[in-house]
Amino acid sequence: MPVNKEELFKKLSDAVVDMNEEETVSLANQIIAEKVDAYEAVEKGLSNGMDRAGKLFEEEEYFIPELLLCSDAMYAGLEVLKGHIKVAEEGEKRKVVIGVVEGDTHDIGKNLVKIMLETSGFDVFDLGRDIAPAAFVEKAKEVGADIIALATLMTTTMEGMASVVQLLQQQNIKDKYKVIIGGGPISQGFADKIGADGYAVNAADAVRLSRRLLGIAG
Amino acid sequence: MSVVQIKEQLTSLERVGLALQRKETDRIPVTPLFCGASHRVLGITYDKWSTDAELATKSLLASQEIIGFDAFVTLVDLSVEAADFGQEIIYPKNSTAYPNFDNQFITNAKEYSKIKHVDPRKGKRMKSVIDICAGLAKAKGKEVAILGFLYGPLGVLSQIRGHKELFKDLIRHPQEVLQAIEIITDVLVEYAKAQIEAGAHSVCIDPLYSSPTILSKKQWETFEGPYIERIANAIREAGGIVTVHNCGNGVYFEEVIKWANPVAISVAYPAYGCKTWEEHAEKWGKKVVTIGYSHPANTGLVLTREEILDDCRSQIELFRSKEAGFILSTGCEFPPNGNLLSAVAMVDAGKLYGVNWK
Repeated sequence: MPVNKEELFKKLSDAVVDMNEEETVSLANQIIAEKVDAYEAVEKGLSNGMDRAGKLFEEEEYFIPELLLCSDAMYAGLEVLKGHIKVAEEGEKRKVVIGVVEGDTHDIGKNLVKIMLETSGFDVFDLGRDIAPAAFVEKAKEVGADIIALATLMTTTMEGMASVVQLLQQQNIKDKYKVIIGGGPISQGFADKIGADGYAVNAADAVRLSRRLLGIAG
Repeated sequence: MSVVQIKEQLTSLERVGLALQRKETDRIPVTPLFCGASHRVLGITYDKWSTDAELATKSLLASQEIIGFDAFVTLVDLSVEAADFGQEIIYPKNSTAYPNFDNQFITNAKEYSKIKHVDPRKGKRMKSVIDICAGLAKAKGKEVAILGFLYGPLGVLSQIRGHKELFKDLIRHPQEVLQAIEIITDVLVEYAKAQIEAGAHSVCIDPLYSSPTILSKKQWETFEGPYIERIANAIREAGGIVTVHNCGNGVYFEEVIKWANPVAISVAYPAYGCKTWEEHAEKWGKKVVTIGYSHPANTGLVLTREEILDDCRSQIELFRSKEAGFILSTGCEFPPNGNLLSAVAMVDAGKLYGVNWK
């Protein structure tokens, strides 16, 4: 009996929404065993599930605990599937270098933005937290990033964002990258002041902003 | 320092006291949450300010002298309580102290049982805040309002376990979390009482996760609401006033009032369900005093004096037009690296636009 792909993808998506890591892994293994296309499974199963979780978050059905468990389930499935994705099928993804600026180790917001960007089709290079300005610039050059996304929760480390913009300007490469910023103390006013290209109020907004800045529909 | 020189009719303490009762005062009280920034007034490094009660007290006193704010807030940083439970803390020379998130005291759900009762009066960091309250009370306790501060039990636990892991444990291991919360609450009850006994007029509780940006109402009411109630009752029994601070977006006012019954709530954004400050002032202005809501980073790092005066004036006018209880402040801590003159501008705005405040 031929495998029903759409049904499998739906189950995979549901497992993410249900925060069921075990089920996600089991379904991902079944997808590999049944020789179903892994890329399609990521897109229509895992990403779709995370997308639904994001919507539930916006509708206040889900909150941060649920969203974190959904992302754990998604990453567990991705771990199984990613080795089976044919490179050509991935297409050319837009690249984002993301991190928390130097002196700050709060990274929940950054992680949520990363998850939402990844599930929206961006290739995300996560530098982690407490990252020096030069490291953002070097990584962006190395991977040919489209966007540099900077996060901080503290007012004392906000200036690190300005330093990244200044470094890009000093090297005459600011036009190559869109710099977006976010985090508790950040505002549009601060983004304007330091010459960042945009400010996002939350993870969903960061995706919308990134798409808008790069002229991507959706 | 203040550019606006007027003869004040009331002391800051009287002014804050009347405003908290929503009675007429000579002018609106102004209290930018000027805490860590005070280390620059005395000219000491942040790590010294965070760990030396005497220096912190002197810094806060000098800051009040220069800026003229109406209330001290003894927020040192959000890792004070966690430190005394055993969490390793990093003290940067020029920034706010924080837990070493690479070395959490609790690393898995089984380790919640590592949380044990500690005596805040004998601990290191909580004792330091109690000493700051005592020092401020001795020097200015009859003139300036002193708001002690404590992080809510769930917040404290998040510093010890790590935010991300704690939030997941709320769903995966609720009983283990609640056992730890129970013990932390016992300690915070004593900590709150000690601050009042040391001379604080109020203790400000920070239930940071009581908004939809983090938890659902049900989650917050399960894991923190009833515990906050115990702390709030202890503050009142000790003769203090209960205030609450939460800089999250859309604070659950109804639930926070249900459990803590504070006289004032310090916020950065309108309450849950209110789209605008107008709506917020209308809905909550006669039930609880709002302390807010200048954007801290904009005020301290971006806006000019004129822009700050304008921003504060519009806040004062809005709350006045709704006859809503209000104390002018920043929505969260004044940036420790912010322009000190911006804090002065806020106080000046109160003197210029908030005269005969009711």
